[in-house]
Amino acid sequence: MMRRRDDVVDSSVEPPTSDLQNLPLYGIRILDLTMVWAGPSGTRLLADMGAEVIKVESARSWDMLRSLHFLKGSPDGWWNRSAYFNHNNRNKYACTLDLQTARGRELALRLVATCDFVFENYRADVIGKLGMDYADLRSVKSDIILISMPSHGKSGPEKHHVAYGTNVEQLSGLASITGYPGMGPHKSPIAYGDPNAGAIAAAAALAALLHRRETGEGQHVEVAQWEAMIGTIGEHILGHQMSLRDGDDGDSGDNIGNRHISRVQGVYECFTRDEWVAISVGSDAEFTALCGAIGQSELASDVRFADLVSRHHHHDDLDAIIAAWTSQRSQDDAASAMQAAGIAASAVLKIPRLMQDEHLRARGFWESVTQAEAGTWDMEGPVWRMSRSPAHVRLPPPTYGEHNQWVLRDLLGLTDDEIADLAAAGVTSNEPNLGVHA
Amino acid sequence: MPHRSRRAVPWLSHVTGPLASLRILDLTSGVAGPWCTKLLADFGADVLKVERPSVGDESRGHGRFPGGVPDREASALFLWLNTSKRSITLDIGTASGRAIALRLAATCDAVVLDQRPSELAALRLTHDDFAGENPRIVTTSVTAFGQSGPHADWLATNLTSYASGGQHYLTGDPDREPLQNGGYQALYQAGTWALGATLAAIWNARACGVGQQAEVSGQEVMAAILEIYLPDYAYRKSEALTTRRGNMSSAVVGIYPAIDGHIGIHAMPKNWPQLMDAIDGRWMADDERFVDNRARLRNDDELSAQMFIWASGVTKQDAYERAGKFRAPISPVNTIADLLASEHLKQRHFFRDIEHPAAGVLQYPSPGARMPATPPVLRAAPLLGEHNADVYREMLGLTSRDLSQLAAAGVI
Repeated sequence: MMRRRDDVVDSSVEPPTSDLQNLPLYGIRILDLTMVWAGPSGTRLLADMGAEVIKVESARSWDMLRSLHFLKGSPDGWWNRSAYFNHNNRNKYACTLDLQTARGRELALRLVATCDFVFENYRADVIGKLGMDYADLRSVKSDIILISMPSHGKSGPEKHHVAYGTNVEQLSGLASITGYPGMGPHKSPIAYGDPNAGAIAAAAALAALLHRRETGEGQHVEVAQWEAMIGTIGEHILGHQMSLRDGDDGDSGDNIGNRHISRVQGVYECFTRDEWVAISVGSDAEFTALCGAIGQSELASDVRFADLVSRHHHHDDLDAIIAAWTSQRSQDDAASAMQAAGIAASAVLKIPRLMQDEHLRARGFWESVTQAEAGTWDMEGPVWRMSRSPAHVRLPPPTYGEHNQWVLRDLLGLTDDEIADLAAAGVTSNEPNLGVHA
Repeated sequence: MPHRSRRAVPWLSHVTGPLASLRILDLTSGVAGPWCTKLLADFGADVLKVERPSVGDESRGHGRFPGGVPDREASALFLWLNTSKRSITLDIGTASGRAIALRLAATCDAVVLDQRPSELAALRLTHDDFAGENPRIVTTSVTAFGQSGPHADWLATNLTSYASGGQHYLTGDPDREPLQNGGYQALYQAGTWALGATLAAIWNARACGVGQQAEVSGQEVMAAILEIYLPDYAYRKSEALTTRRGNMSSAVVGIYPAIDGHIGIHAMPKNWPQLMDAIDGRWMADDERFVDNRARLRNDDELSAQMFIWASGVTKQDAYERAGKFRAPISPVNTIADLLASEHLKQRHFFRDIEHPAAGVLQYPSPGARMPATPPVLRAAPLLGEHNADVYREMLGLTSRDLSQLAAAGVI
């Protein structure tokens, strides 16, 4: 099987320790039909581990992320300069094939025949309309693994509903259990349903791969983003049923904000306005240590704080005492002092501080990436850290259609004339139709 | 490549699932590690969960409990996070307990750990310790700060992990303190990412015959899912998106009060026509304030006012039905009760009844990935030490006398 050309790897961004052939997923090929965040976040995890991910777009169906948060100040080519797209598509290749044309579909299926996986996160009915359902894929590759990531699933009365990541969070029940006390539901700042589904899908893909190794059989894996999100609040699903059984109405519990049922905790403002530290105290011993650390050992014998139940009862009093102490300190000093006393604490890191965090810097978390059209910036390295085969950002995010030649000529064996015909017929393209995401 | 044959443990012979050929030694407690190993177990792996004698997993001490009465066998958190596993009690801090853990690991594909590096060193349970017995072993470490760096030995909870990963500062209202989202999200994410890392390393170990350590830091996981907020800052050097923006990222990405609860909207420019249809707002197409995306961004407050007006006149169900009809990205903010009543989830058989001796029959969510070639068979979470006899007698061949000696010494 043809593998990647040397000239598509920019040696200036490949750290010397990245040895492609040692990466865990070297030799695995993925046809990636996903767009926006959920699917691409999942295939990014696998790309980071060495899988060869080939992203497919077309002029009329291109990744919306390219239209968001791009560098301003240049007349054209902005679709290659999106921070959002570029962050989520490093270590991947990109080609164009219009799957709504017969020729585009045929070529895509020829690629499928060389792949281990196809990933898609279309609405439930789209892949079938394209004539690329699981049965179609199997007809060209009998053990193909198809990963579908529809928001609501492929079956059921709501399968045609559409949803983005914040909708997924709302559907799942998580938004209803997030909130300041007495203030109703609250959303996560991010489209949380997306990366959650992406990480589940990447793991499920690997499970399917292990199953294929044992049995030789592929399968069609379905990750309904809504269902994947519900898993992260499973204890509330069970707890609700217990409370109904106990005769409560089940939803009587108000949201608890930053608090916890069996700890005393919160975020406390520090010397600088809107700079916060998170502190979490569990056992009696930890509480005694807290009192010592803030120079008020006598509080350890205060009846208001004698045990966890009392501390919860007087939580507001305790918060005021802790806040008075943190207000005299920086968030780093406060967190360090708590840790030195054996208490869980962390600065509530604002993004600029996060990117300066000495711990992450010491771990080499940020990698400098250069893409020819977008310049140089820092992004996180692979988060799955392997001791024997450490991975890095080895490929910059691809520009639109960047690897058309490699896919069409080297992987599919087309002639220059055939490649020119495809471009003339609009099956492939070098620029997206900008009206799609205006 | 040497294929391992399917596991020949009689009592598990009915177990299906894509991971039915794997055995995992689980030395974790709480949420992050147990969530990772729960998914492994639900997908068919034989997960040997090691618990501290008489105390067990710390989540056994957290509620909710049936009747509100603390019961280490009936914690909702424990029951949820430990389905399909086998529980053995073992004090890995004793010499004989450590030796047993190493013997068990010699039969496993992976060990999942959540101890900080200083703890692992003290226990002498590092990757090298396990690999000495079994060179194919994968050791997955899932902790708040990873295994290296100045904070590697720092203590953490879900709250502090949410804080250190960058999402906490962004969550909540601009004029209030940062808000944690519900449950244990930072820990769950660390667990999900540890699952993937574990499987990638096992795949690799099966291919080349040598294992390795797979390391996941909760802080790094959370920093990697900051959507546009981190990339925008890293790339454009602008702090415009580094502050809290409350319940509305924009007029059409937010939560609004409805007649009987709340609804959420998340419309991108291409969804605008469908959104207008869903909210009876076709007139907006001819209103210069809303005529295109640029105009709508300029008039975001006025657009938000229109959304408040519309949402306040509909029920969650009305809004959702119109969303489906017009294919607009509008959803109800479901309560847990709404979920359990959902006809859609019912028809998809998403919740399944599982009976547990102490907690009775409850409806559990299915795994977030459906794998029809190998549908999982979920089993109730184990009682503390429920599988001591199976594991110690049948797998390790210990005698009754061995077991009573170990019990007397507090090892099991």
